[in-house]
Amino acid sequence: MIKLEEVAKVYPDGTEAVKGISFEIQNGEFCVLLGPSGCGKTTTMKMINRLIPITSGKILVDGTDNTKLDVNDLRRGIGYAIQEIGLFPHMTVSENITTVPRLLRWAKGKCRQRAIELLELVGLTPADNFLDKYPAELSGGQRQRVGVARSLGADPPVLLMDEPFGAIDPITRERLQDEFLRIQGEIKKTIAFVTHDINEAIKMGDRIVLIRAGKLVQYDTPAELLSRPKDDFVRDFVGADRALKSLRLMRVKEVMRASPPTVSLEEGLSSVRKQMESVGLKWLMAVDDERFMGWVSWEDLGKGEKVRDIVIPPATTATPNTPLNQALSLMLNSAIGNLGVVDDEERLLGVLTFDCIRNVIVEFQSEGEER
Amino acid sequence: MRRRIVFILLLGLFIGLTIWITGIGRIGVYSAFTSADLLRESGNHFQMVGIAALVAIAVGVPLGILLTRPRFIKLSPFVIGGVGMGQCIPSMALIAIMAPLMGFGFWPAIVALFIYGLLPILRNSYVGIRNIDPAIIEAASGMGMSRGQIARKVELPLARPVIMAGIRTSTVINVGTAALAVLVGGTGLGKIILTGVFSRQALITLQGAAPTAAMAIVLDFILESIENWMTPRGLKVQKQRGEG
Repeated sequence: MIKLEEVAKVYPDGTEAVKGISFEIQNGEFCVLLGPSGCGKTTTMKMINRLIPITSGKILVDGTDNTKLDVNDLRRGIGYAIQEIGLFPHMTVSENITTVPRLLRWAKGKCRQRAIELLELVGLTPADNFLDKYPAELSGGQRQRVGVARSLGADPPVLLMDEPFGAIDPITRERLQDEFLRIQGEIKKTIAFVTHDINEAIKMGDRIVLIRAGKLVQYDTPAELLSRPKDDFVRDFVGADRALKSLRLMRVKEVMRASPPTVSLEEGLSSVRKQMESVGLKWLMAVDDERFMGWVSWEDLGKGEKVRDIVIPPATTATPNTPLNQALSLMLNSAIGNLGVVDDEERLLGVLTFDCIRNVIVEFQSEGEER
Repeated sequence: MRRRIVFILLLGLFIGLTIWITGIGRIGVYSAFTSADLLRESGNHFQMVGIAALVAIAVGVPLGILLTRPRFIKLSPFVIGGVGMGQCIPSMALIAIMAPLMGFGFWPAIVALFIYGLLPILRNSYVGIRNIDPAIIEAASGMGMSRGQIARKVELPLARPVIMAGIRTSTVINVGTAALAVLVGGTGLGKIILTGVFSRQALITLQGAAPTAAMAIVLDFILESIENWMTPRGLKVQKQRGEG
């Protein structure tokens, strides 16, 4: 657990970078420090491992005042990853990753074992291909992964991350974010993560600390921050498309229509027509032994005898855990406009229509206006 | 590879010239220096350059590194600027100034060479450390390396090639400067060159100048190899990638 009590930083020239911030990060919680450039978020984070000395207030790491520990012991117990990565160019990947274990004098074999474990964790496999490479031989995305692996070197309970995905191209960034979320699901570290990117904050954080001009403005879950911004600054910062952003926080299973109208492949088209009329839809979903086979549309009913003749295979499908924003863009890219939701074995679980998403947004907006 | 060919060609040219002139024996009314003379003066020359370089390294490297430490960094413009002024004085003048200050002899020559060779070493040691990406240092201290560990495990290995390049520049320049040391009572190949100048015999001048040049390129080659050997592998890879 990390606890900040009235933490302040005043530089010798009188600049007040941080003006009394208090909040707590629970064990295993992913906390994003968010705010515009120069708001004091990085300063706040760097006071946790004392890269920047605190002026007043208190920071407790797992209940201990961080100024009471030897500074190097403190830092060896806290993982640290930065935007510029800062890999040591003269050390191999394995030496880089085991920097802290080697400082802690782990045995050689244990260090190597740990390096392999961490490379596998961050998806650089087979690990043997990477252990003895130098940073210059890696791509930007690979370096960033090594940077993350290095911060996890000695398995610290607490991680500090300063825009660790800031300097990579959007596609790689998106992928690294997803992977890091998966890793965090396994390792459950207590994380303070600095970013100025609201989308990254919403995607990654369990909670968001929004900071402006050295003061904490709002400390909330992403959903609360989007639906109940505390003041105009927060509203402006999260942006006018709050409703759209909030889609990221929901998953398909929360809004999909379960048990959609289905027909089997062998069904005759005249009875399909009747079924469509009775449910009032221009489409039905074809299934074969619960497996989703495709769409049957009203316009095609005259073109064959059986469903099998006119079924249009799905261009794409979603899973119950697909985030709604992704599901929406899949829908926009598919001709049908609806999205089948299937499980790992292609069994049909439900359907996502534009109506489902419209309802969510309408609900979200009315919720925000209640206040 | 191309460097190596140029090196061998130049070395062959200068050594060939030296052997040829020494072989002529008589040049006008003068006799050429013997091969024993040449060997002795080459030895003396090398000794002066070597002693001056060792002292310059012993002073320049630690001083350059010290100037990058937070406590002393404010002094760095003054020290490096001051030593830089020393190098702005023409080498001839610097050596000439030594005579009234320290009299004539071996040591004034060494002091002049030391001052002249100090700047490249000092400046490269300072720059080598200062030019390390600050993110690397921040990562190192953020992970709990002490100041000493950062210096030993990160800063020195990364600055080593740059420091070695300074040592190489300094030493090679001083092979030439040392030829002037004879003006304040030093020894070395400068003696032969000056004899040629005073006797107006170009060949005798060349008999001293050619081995001086040969010594400079040999030292340059050796120091370059050491520099290469001392460069961490990861940095070589980085350089290849950067250039290729």
